[in-house]
Amino acid sequence: MSDEAPAARMARELADGAAKLSKAAELLVKIKDEDVNVGATPKNLIMRRDRVELFRYEPLVSRKVDVPVLVAYGLIGRYTMADLQPDRSLIRSLLKEGLDLWLIDWGRPGRTERWLTIDDYVDDYIHAAVERICRETGHDNVTLLGICEGGVFTTCYAALHPDKVKNLVLTITPIDFHADSEDTAEHHGFLNIWTRSLDGADVDNLVEAFGVLPGEFMSSVFSMMTPMRSLTKYNIDLIDIVDDEAKWMNFLRMEKWLADRPHHPGEAAKQWLKDLYQDNRLVKGTFSLSGRQVDLGAITSPTLNVYALDDHIIPPTCSKALGGKIGTGDYTEIPLPGGHVGLFVSSKSQGRLSKSIAEWLAARD
Amino acid sequence: MTENIGSADALADAVAQWTENWKKMADFSVGVGEAWSNSMLPFIMTRAAEKRAGLGDELGDAIERMAQGPKLADVWDIDRKLMNAFVAWTKMRQKLAAYNTNAARPWMRALERYHEMPAEGEKPSPSRNWRDDFSAWSSLANQELIHNQRSEEFLRVQRELLQAGIEFRKSQTELSQTVSGLFGLPTQQDFDELTRQLTELRREVRALARRSPAASAETEEVPNATASARGRTNE
Repeated sequence: MSDEAPAARMARELADGAAKLSKAAELLVKIKDEDVNVGATPKNLIMRRDRVELFRYEPLVSRKVDVPVLVAYGLIGRYTMADLQPDRSLIRSLLKEGLDLWLIDWGRPGRTERWLTIDDYVDDYIHAAVERICRETGHDNVTLLGICEGGVFTTCYAALHPDKVKNLVLTITPIDFHADSEDTAEHHGFLNIWTRSLDGADVDNLVEAFGVLPGEFMSSVFSMMTPMRSLTKYNIDLIDIVDDEAKWMNFLRMEKWLADRPHHPGEAAKQWLKDLYQDNRLVKGTFSLSGRQVDLGAITSPTLNVYALDDHIIPPTCSKALGGKIGTGDYTEIPLPGGHVGLFVSSKSQGRLSKSIAEWLAARD
Repeated sequence: MTENIGSADALADAVAQWTENWKKMADFSVGVGEAWSNSMLPFIMTRAAEKRAGLGDELGDAIERMAQGPKLADVWDIDRKLMNAFVAWTKMRQKLAAYNTNAARPWMRALERYHEMPAEGEKPSPSRNWRDDFSAWSSLANQELIHNQRSEEFLRVQRELLQAGIEFRKSQTELSQTVSGLFGLPTQQDFDELTRQLTELRREVRALARRSPAASAETEEVPNATASARGRTNE
């Protein structure tokens, strides 16, 4: 191959390209929008509260861990990232480990939800969901599994309602929003730098103008963090996948998840960007919800903190900071290779995250 | 056979010529980059961006005076708001020009660095193809773009663009609310006030309900029996 003449190589590449395009055309004609299904693991609606819904997943195997697990995603993007497709689904993997899995789905907030605060999400919606799960299952408390901003919500809940939390599992969760300065990788932490470059008044004006933190706006900020990947994913990068149905479907599902970016309720966005990202109040112990201080030292439940070593959105140092602040003596960290989303959806990471969580929970059931 | 060999030679020549042309273009664009950096053009563009785009100072001043002058009850109210929106739009365009000027720099730097590799005189590997070249350039561009994002200047120009965009949006909203008011239609302000009151009322009701566990269970919404979300897909 290394001795191939340029002309012959060009002819071969042209022929390969033509074959790929032909296969791609066949696949595109075959694939319908309904085939690109995300978040498809069967679940049942248990409770609706405003736009928020509580689901219980249908079990896939017999129960091995008794304490119910409530999964809470954040308000940026949707939970379907954790259930992208059958072979790339933290949800399915946990169900196969015999967990009783529940999900709190924030829905798609709009301007109607402008005035909701993090207080509402933690002390109303999550609290109502936990109480409902306890009533349904006969347990006094639950395990919380928080993802990213959802991890911040569940951390706050565990600090404010320690009696209702049996175990706390956090994944890719920021605790110290200024610890990006300790991360030496230049491609990490743009979100932290960018929010600190704004004034509090900028955030207020943004929310006043739109009523929300627009989903499209956050999409463009996220695209900026991986500039060349964002530019090449619809052209050069497609060359390798156009004739492979499995890769195509994975790409289309990722795109579907990426396009599904609801707005972030306005007042909650102000707390997220100003109180947490700019003022770093959570780790300082000055963040309060519903008039009560969120004291990380009040978290007494066993806590598992999983983070991704190449997370450019939530630098690992921002997650690791919990260790020095939490009150529980049963605190475990699991660093895993991969990025913020890759931890959940990449083929290499499948099974690792779910097994780590399931084993840790089983030991504390 | 002779024809085939002749065709293969011609194609090889064409490829070699194309490669030479590509190299010349790359050399030229680096030269353009240097000429650009050393010329007055960046300065002129920045100054143009600071000036009111295409309006001329006197006209721009006149519009701003009208937009920001004293208000006389309802006299010329819509006109004033139109002018506000126009001024906000022109300011946003200025900030966008400044942002684009900054955003162009990492691309120029990436091209300069690409041109420096490999070292002069080193023959490229025979198996090297366009994907290797693109990958090398793409990696450099990614580094430069990420590095630029963290510079003070970038953060400043993007912040100013964001502020200008928000001001433009607010001026649009102000204008649309005035027009809605003329037709007796509810405005965005009305909607926001309504949802604020609803949210606060809901909080009060739920706080009361929590004090009474029986009432709390009754206020919880239960799904319609037929509305189970089995296998719900992204809607």
